[in-house]
Amino acid sequence: MEPASPQPEETLSDGRPAIAPDGVDLTLIRWMLSLTPAQRLQVLDQNIRSIERLRACRIRD
Amino acid sequence: MPAESETSLPAILRTLTAHRVEFIVVGGVSAVLQGAPLITFDLDVVHSRAPENLQRLLAALAELDAHYRAQPERRLVPAKSRLETGGRQLLTTRYGPLDLLGEIGSGHGYDDLLQDAVDLELAPGVRVHALGLRRLIEVKRETAGEKDLAVLPVLERTLEESQRVRDARVEVGPGGPPNSPRSGR
Repeated sequence: MEPASPQPEETLSDGRPAIAPDGVDLTLIRWMLSLTPAQRLQVLDQNIRSIERLRACRIRD
Repeated sequence: MPAESETSLPAILRTLTAHRVEFIVVGGVSAVLQGAPLITFDLDVVHSRAPENLQRLLAALAELDAHYRAQPERRLVPAKSRLETGGRQLLTTRYGPLDLLGEIGSGHGYDDLLQDAVDLELAPGVRVHALGLRRLIEVKRETAGEKDLAVLPVLERTLEESQRVRDARVEVGPGGPPNSPRSGR
């Protein structure tokens, strides 16, 4: 039985799998590369703050 | 000014650049700046240990209210003699954690790493050096700690993808692909 061909949502526009064989999500890398360095830093900063807020919520619970 | 507990990596970088500190962003933040989808909570920088730079760095650290985070209640501030070494100073600032590194990997300091740094603009007038992905991967392989090895696949795929994006731009050229709105055809 032949393996099922990947669905469009599982491949990048150049036909490669969206997830590399080592498990790295290439869609996230492509998205980050589409941003400027300043925007990438902003994404990281916002993610850190979101996690800090979530941690604070857990402590209050 | 944000509350003392609020992290702001851009604010730390702005303060260092405002004081004309010579430094290279390394570690996770460097990787993120170059497109790696990672989360990291501290800013790692390798600073120049030239005497005049250490004076500027101390002034920036004072403005950042930097002190060692191992015993935050004692508010121990870094001394110039500690910054002259190749060691790691684990600090906390009013904008979040900051690690100052005299050297990384097997003894690589500012002057050695500068040749492999990329120059990035984070805001008008705010430019920083970040260690290029290829060298960052080499240094992490040298260190080979569990934490470093865990992120290597992400760094390696990011380096590959950024190369693909660059190659695609070269093939297409500045006018965009044929029949695209930007190509003018």
